[in-house]
Amino acid sequence: MTISSFLRVPPLAAAIVAAALQTAVLGYMVESRASILRSGADIKLKTLPVDPRDLLRGDYVILSYPISTIPKDIVTGEIPKDSQQVRMSVRLKPGADGLWTASEASFGDLAPAEGSVVLRTLPFEYYSSVDNVLPDNIFVSYGIERYYVPEGEGKVLEDARNQEELEVEARVSKEGTPQIARLILKGEPIYDEPLY
Amino acid sequence: MYRGRLERDLKLWEVQGLIDAPTVGRLLKEYDSRPSSFSLGRVLMIIAALLVAAAVLLLVAANWDAIPRLVRLVGIVGLIWGAYLAGAVLITRGAERLAAAFLVFGTLAFGGAIALVGQMYHLSGDTFQATLVWFVGAVVAAALFRSGAVTAVAGFLAFVVSGADWTQSYSANETVLLWLMPLMAVIIILLVRYTGAARVRHLAYLLLVTWLAFIYSEYETPTTAIAIAAFGAVAYLLAAVPQSPLHAFARSAGAAPAFYSYLVLMVGLLVLHAEFDNVADRLFLGILTLMAAIAGIALSGKENGAVRYLGYGAFAAETLYLASETIGSIIGTSGFFLVSGLVVALIAWGVIALERRFSKAETKVEA
Repeated sequence: MTISSFLRVPPLAAAIVAAALQTAVLGYMVESRASILRSGADIKLKTLPVDPRDLLRGDYVILSYPISTIPKDIVTGEIPKDSQQVRMSVRLKPGADGLWTASEASFGDLAPAEGSVVLRTLPFEYYSSVDNVLPDNIFVSYGIERYYVPEGEGKVLEDARNQEELEVEARVSKEGTPQIARLILKGEPIYDEPLY
Repeated sequence: MYRGRLERDLKLWEVQGLIDAPTVGRLLKEYDSRPSSFSLGRVLMIIAALLVAAAVLLLVAANWDAIPRLVRLVGIVGLIWGAYLAGAVLITRGAERLAAAFLVFGTLAFGGAIALVGQMYHLSGDTFQATLVWFVGAVVAAALFRSGAVTAVAGFLAFVVSGADWTQSYSANETVLLWLMPLMAVIIILLVRYTGAARVRHLAYLLLVTWLAFIYSEYETPTTAIAIAAFGAVAYLLAAVPQSPLHAFARSAGAAPAFYSYLVLMVGLLVLHAEFDNVADRLFLGILTLMAAIAGIALSGKENGAVRYLGYGAFAAETLYLASETIGSIIGTSGFFLVSGLVVALIAWGVIALERRFSKAETKVEA
């Protein structure tokens, strides 16, 4: 035989280790979401119409939220001096209609407070201006902007979203990561998300 | 293919009475028994593994409603386990080639599983992270099984990672490639040395050349181009000069280290031609390029055909470029073509003379 039969992990052990590691990675992906759904804080969000040109790519619906637009008036704390990749913390509070809106945002951390939930945005590129002022609106995403649906069912959701009749219930982990728990169409829950 | 040329030559020598027929058979048999020799069966088997992997993943993705989510998850994880275990059993039975197909299938199924899990559980896809995790999974599998085929998959995945969709990547931006690309190339080269998948080495070298191009695209200055050319020159000299401490090591990897470092040097010089504007700089650069071409032919011409031809090409292109820059404007178009023709004829004569010397030197060595 060739040299390759020496210095080699026994094939069966190799198979078990490789498969177990890859299973662990997949398990971690699934569990990271399930744990948020299990114990996260509940919030309910309104969705906004999306430019119809990139409505449906594949089998998912693009969801856009009012909290994805941060007006500069609610930003507190230090503003980054240079252009860099940043994340923001956004404090959400429930309104009278049960929908949560952004009440405060910061480039640093926000302390947890009673009656509010703090979300972390995904990292984004921040471009500082010459006189170091914020733009009027900052556009952020949270990782809940995409919802996969069975083929052909995306259209209904998009129409509803474009008529502003679609709401999203999400759960938020302590670290501020949200996961979609269910979609609500005209007050009726649809696509209730099981843990696994 | 070398196999075809070898057979033709052996048959010719047999007809000329230089060797007898049994020897021809024995030589070809020896060549075919080498593990690295090209086998259509093996290539087709790997292609089959790719196709089946694609079919299974599409089947799972398409039958969205018919299969409950948890069943889909268990199914795809089962595919990974099944493929790796089947590969392991086949290896212990000595069916290395069929085993390679199963291992490739398992590694591809892992990538599909990452995509499917992301889709099924509405995890907003971070493309870069997903491809990087896939690459790492492939590297681990290649190392554990000591598999050349999975090393090749990892080599391709390194390119997939480098080409990730940055608008869909939140965990990092493209500047991580500045250190990640060479790191991935080193990992692939280590795997190649460990698994013996010599051809995959080219993927690693191409990744490094792509990396240098990426550096230049990030920092488009003459300094970068000079640094690339200088790096290529140093790497080439380390690989090609017999006195270099790395010479033996580089030779053990075949002709590739010298060729790719020489290629980097030439790419660097080419980019510099676009960076330099004034005549003196360009003339200096031209002479430098000609010297580099001659140095390549002189140093590696005998043992490394790839470097030799790149050297010829660079020499001819540079000569014509210099001619067009200097006398081209004076003598007019037709005169320039005449001069070009003469220059190319001179180079051709030089090439023929050199090639004759190389082949003479070879026969002398053999004698």
